[in-house]
Amino acid sequence: MTVERQDCVALDQFPVGMRVLAVDDDQTCLRILESLLHRCQYHVTTTNQAQKALELLRENKNKFDLVISDVDMPDMDGFKLLELVGLEMDLPVIMLSAHSDPKYVMKGVTHGACDYLLKPVRIEELKNIWQHVVRKNRGSNNGDKKDGSGNEGVANSDQNNGRANRKRKDQYNEDEDEERDDNDDPSSQKKPRVVWTVELHKKFVAAVNQLGFEKAMPKKILDLMNVEKLTRENVASHLQKFRLYLKRISGNQQAIMANSDLHFLQMSNGLDGFHHRPIPVGSGQFHGGAAAAGMRPFPPNNGILGRLNTPSGIGGVRNLSSPPSSGMFLQNPTDLGKFHHVSSLPLNHIDGGNILQGLPIPLEFDQLQTNNNKSIIAGNSMAFPSFPTSLPNNNNHLVLEGHPQASPSAFPGHQINKRLEHWSNAVSSSSSTLPPPGQNSNSLISHQFDASSSNYSIPFCDSTIPLNPALDHTNPRAFYRATDLDSNANVQPGVYYDSLQMRQSGNYGPTTDAMLSSNPKEGFTVGQQKLQSGFMGGEAGSLDDIVNSTMKQEQSQGDLSEGDLGYGGFSSLRTCI
Amino acid sequence: MQRQVALIKQSLFDQGYLDEQFVELEELQDDANPNFVEEVATLYFKDSARLISNIEQALERGSFDFNRLDNYMHQFKGSSTSIGASKVKTECTMFREYCRVGNAEGCLRTFKQLKKEHATLRKKLEQYFQLARQAGPKETARRPK
Repeated sequence: MTVERQDCVALDQFPVGMRVLAVDDDQTCLRILESLLHRCQYHVTTTNQAQKALELLRENKNKFDLVISDVDMPDMDGFKLLELVGLEMDLPVIMLSAHSDPKYVMKGVTHGACDYLLKPVRIEELKNIWQHVVRKNRGSNNGDKKDGSGNEGVANSDQNNGRANRKRKDQYNEDEDEERDDNDDPSSQKKPRVVWTVELHKKFVAAVNQLGFEKAMPKKILDLMNVEKLTRENVASHLQKFRLYLKRISGNQQAIMANSDLHFLQMSNGLDGFHHRPIPVGSGQFHGGAAAAGMRPFPPNNGILGRLNTPSGIGGVRNLSSPPSSGMFLQNPTDLGKFHHVSSLPLNHIDGGNILQGLPIPLEFDQLQTNNNKSIIAGNSMAFPSFPTSLPNNNNHLVLEGHPQASPSAFPGHQINKRLEHWSNAVSSSSSTLPPPGQNSNSLISHQFDASSSNYSIPFCDSTIPLNPALDHTNPRAFYRATDLDSNANVQPGVYYDSLQMRQSGNYGPTTDAMLSSNPKEGFTVGQQKLQSGFMGGEAGSLDDIVNSTMKQEQSQGDLSEGDLGYGGFSSLRTCI
Repeated sequence: MQRQVALIKQSLFDQGYLDEQFVELEELQDDANPNFVEEVATLYFKDSARLISNIEQALERGSFDFNRLDNYMHQFKGSSTSIGASKVKTECTMFREYCRVGNAEGCLRTFKQLKKEHATLRKKLEQYFQLARQAGPKETARRPK
């Protein structure tokens, strides 16, 4: 032991004091792990719930340097947590499991784990985990140089900081190294993390779409985005994650398109549980197609919404109107159910839609808010940075899904709008930070309604969901999300948008319609594309309004629940607004 | 007294109740964590008792949801491995194997055996810890020869 200590101390302080977050539902293992980590002189925080871990991480991104997580956990799959942490916080994550099956290890790798350890963990293995922190920092700091080349040097298990430092010096200029080396606080070595806010991500997606996913290069994306203080490396690493994400969720489908956006963001945002569904967003294909194909798992709403938002998404949405889309949404319902659990809103579950149930959105929204606050995106659509606010995403999903059952083509438009309203209400209620929708929401909502009524395209909207007030909660959010993209005002929509946009490579604007309807709406949005553009503008603040209105709607809706709700909802919404 | 403690410990290792992992745990015990091993063992037995009762219920239901049983057992195996409960771990592995092939009879049999091993280990460890506490601060853990 003593020897170990000395070794640690010899290393310029780092990795001593490295802050580790350990997550494992098994108390015995957690206790042992904690002790082992203490022995390595790390600063340890433990939790036996993945949700709690995410909260801790989101609370302050810079509070931890490394996360170690078990794979099998009851409240959340370890891989999902891994994804979320990687996307949202860009922290190195080490997986821990008693499974030595290569399949699991592979899964860990594809989900972005820095390492995969087998239980029982030995202290020798833990002594070297600090290398992952350094590696990650180097990767982001070292933009110009070849990414990864610098890391190699650090990667070896040589605990001798000096040696690592020397290697680093070789690769980077001295100043950089020195800065990095002599920090006793590892986190200070890194450049401030770039928070990929919704806003930022939207730009990113837009840039990628513009360039064409295949051809998107970090440098070009960076130029297109035209954001100060964003480096090529930041973009590069975000792009990489994004690609991985898309690949993961879409499999064969066009991962690239829009859907991934929302999903991606959602994932990043830590949509708990929701994310795991990859949204088969096909570009342009409106979710209908994509959804049908991949939707199943329904990645965080974001994906769906994202699709909706983008113009292409809208086009996609159009597709939705066609039967295929409905299929898509139907699938979502299951997903929606997932989302719903969150809702703080009094959503009653949507018939068939499950979307609104427990709208996760509200919760997420709150999260968003928190995140937003942190992330800077003032009033913007949900600050992406933390993505955690999965709300928007969830909503999206919900929106989409919920409706499948919705009254069949009753008033797709209505439903969506209704949903949207609810959603917005929900959103607004949940998120205090939401920029006061004010007029915007109103306009949005009204737009939506109009749009929705006109578009019946989305059959699924008709599904039961729309009517439920609960849905609305979800929807509003969703809607907002979509709309926000343009307006930035609504955080929530932002999320969707991004995904949508990504996919669609269009703008988010149009999709809003669809999004609004929360689950079904999304489908509608497609049809409503035209509307969306209109909405988009309004959205920005309207989200809150919408949410409010939706809330009101819900209350007044009792009748709305039927297919006709859509309209009913709208009107009330309007009034509310 | 300490020799007695050491002897008991040795026998646990010799008989295969405990393995290397237990030694690792002991090495983690120090002034900052004077009762670390005992704490961990207590945690383990608490957790595993719960798991055992869950499994028991699942088995009694007679539906034999092998997937679920396997999940439980996986958890059980994980913690048993972490504490170095070697015999228990072996039984876990066997149980999982039976689950994999869907052999209900085998599962029941193994589970009975597993419970027995678990109870035995618990008793022995309790005895060991008690003695160890009486004996005073332990000397540094030594690997069993």
